[in-house]
Amino acid sequence: MIRCVNLGKSYPLGRGRKHVFRNLNFQITPGERIGFLGRNGAGKTTLIKLIGGVEMPTAGRVIRDMTVSWPLGFGGGFQGSLTGYDNARFISRIYGHDYREIKDFVEDFTELGAQLKMPVVTYSSGMRARLAFALSLAIEFDCYLIDEIILVGDQNFHRKCHYELFDKRADRALILASHSFEIIREFCDRAMVLHGGAGVMYSDVNEALDVYSAL
Amino acid sequence: MVSKLAAGWRIQRRVIGALMIRELITRFGRENIGFLWVMVEPLLFGLLVGLIWSYAKGPEEHGVSIIAFVVTGYLPLTLFRNSVNRAVKVFTVNSSLMYHRQITLTDFIFVRFLIEMIGGMMAYLVVGLLLIYLDLFPVPFDIGWLIVGWLVYCAFTLSLCFVLAPLSEMSDVLEKMMPVTTYVIIPFSGTFNMASWVTPDAREVLLYSPFVNAMEMMRYGVFGDNVTAYFGFGVPIAATMFFLAIGLILCRKVRRILVVE
Repeated sequence: MIRCVNLGKSYPLGRGRKHVFRNLNFQITPGERIGFLGRNGAGKTTLIKLIGGVEMPTAGRVIRDMTVSWPLGFGGGFQGSLTGYDNARFISRIYGHDYREIKDFVEDFTELGAQLKMPVVTYSSGMRARLAFALSLAIEFDCYLIDEIILVGDQNFHRKCHYELFDKRADRALILASHSFEIIREFCDRAMVLHGGAGVMYSDVNEALDVYSAL
Repeated sequence: MVSKLAAGWRIQRRVIGALMIRELITRFGRENIGFLWVMVEPLLFGLLVGLIWSYAKGPEEHGVSIIAFVVTGYLPLTLFRNSVNRAVKVFTVNSSLMYHRQITLTDFIFVRFLIEMIGGMMAYLVVGLLLIYLDLFPVPFDIGWLIVGWLVYCAFTLSLCFVLAPLSEMSDVLEKMMPVTTYVIIPFSGTFNMASWVTPDAREVLLYSPFVNAMEMMRYGVFGDNVTAYFGFGVPIAATMFFLAIGLILCRKVRRILVVE
């Protein structure tokens, strides 16, 4: 289970502070799929970063009783100057996994072939998405944090993600930040709408989508 | 409790190892001599500056070979300079790694320092053996004191890195002040002078510098009774502990405000 208790985040802005959100309280139980909805800048990505422990909250805390992936987005988690293989090697080392297994899975899942020998800076966003997904799937987490922007891949990639994440790993929890009604409706059990520094959780996804589209 | 500590230690070792390899690959690549480059800079510095000085000032000063004296001073100084320069903004350049929770800010500082330290030791070994072969460097009088002095010097340098790294994230002024500061402290680093060369009053002041104490230990280890060395452990240990404690507090503080793209 992951519990967010009185979670708040603010950044310095001139002499004052800009509060992204305040006093968020919610929890994610194993196997649950939660969508984060909100307009640009509402704090979806920030919230995912706090849950993933990338940035620290200004107030409150995140209690993690299950393993949580790093946020799967564009930038983070990779060293651009290193090759795909080097990044895979690095990730398998810090997570204490056997590199050969990870390598096989990455080669198979990404279908990037010789491109894996090139620095990650040369990858397109779709290729990065493939690599990021492959690595986090190979490590096996209880909860996956996904920023929608990474779902940029082609049909074949979508099919693979769908199979790996929703069929094979149906028991895992998932947090998905998205603008897409389709994706939220298809994948999420609950959804939280972030707006004006507050977050409201809806157990009915369609209700959340209605609220979101009225914003 | 014990098993938890053991697990933490395993993760720590894994992370440090992985970060070391990553840093070596990004810095030196896999081409030609690769990570051996890490010792080339201190090696050339120690050797060439030593040669220049021996031409400028004659082969001996205060009873010891000038090349050996400069090498024993310059190699630690290069370690100090490189380490603190590498500590500046280390969190910003590595911030994408904060995506992995088992990696901490202190790991970055430690890894960069460790690479400099290993490079410095390899350079010392190569330069020492080469100069001993050419009869320009004495066979160390007591290798134990040389190693102890080196470790004391390293520990203090590392503690400075722990303070400078978070400070450089908090204020840009620090980065601009670094080059002049590392230059100005040279007289207080024991690099080009020994405590016995100055008046007793000045010596008392010099011995408040942890660098001077460590350098005197190393020089005693190399030259033995050909030099008069003054040193103690109180000042370097106290200073190292002090900066380490401050540094760890600052790291915690910076971690809370660190913005990761």
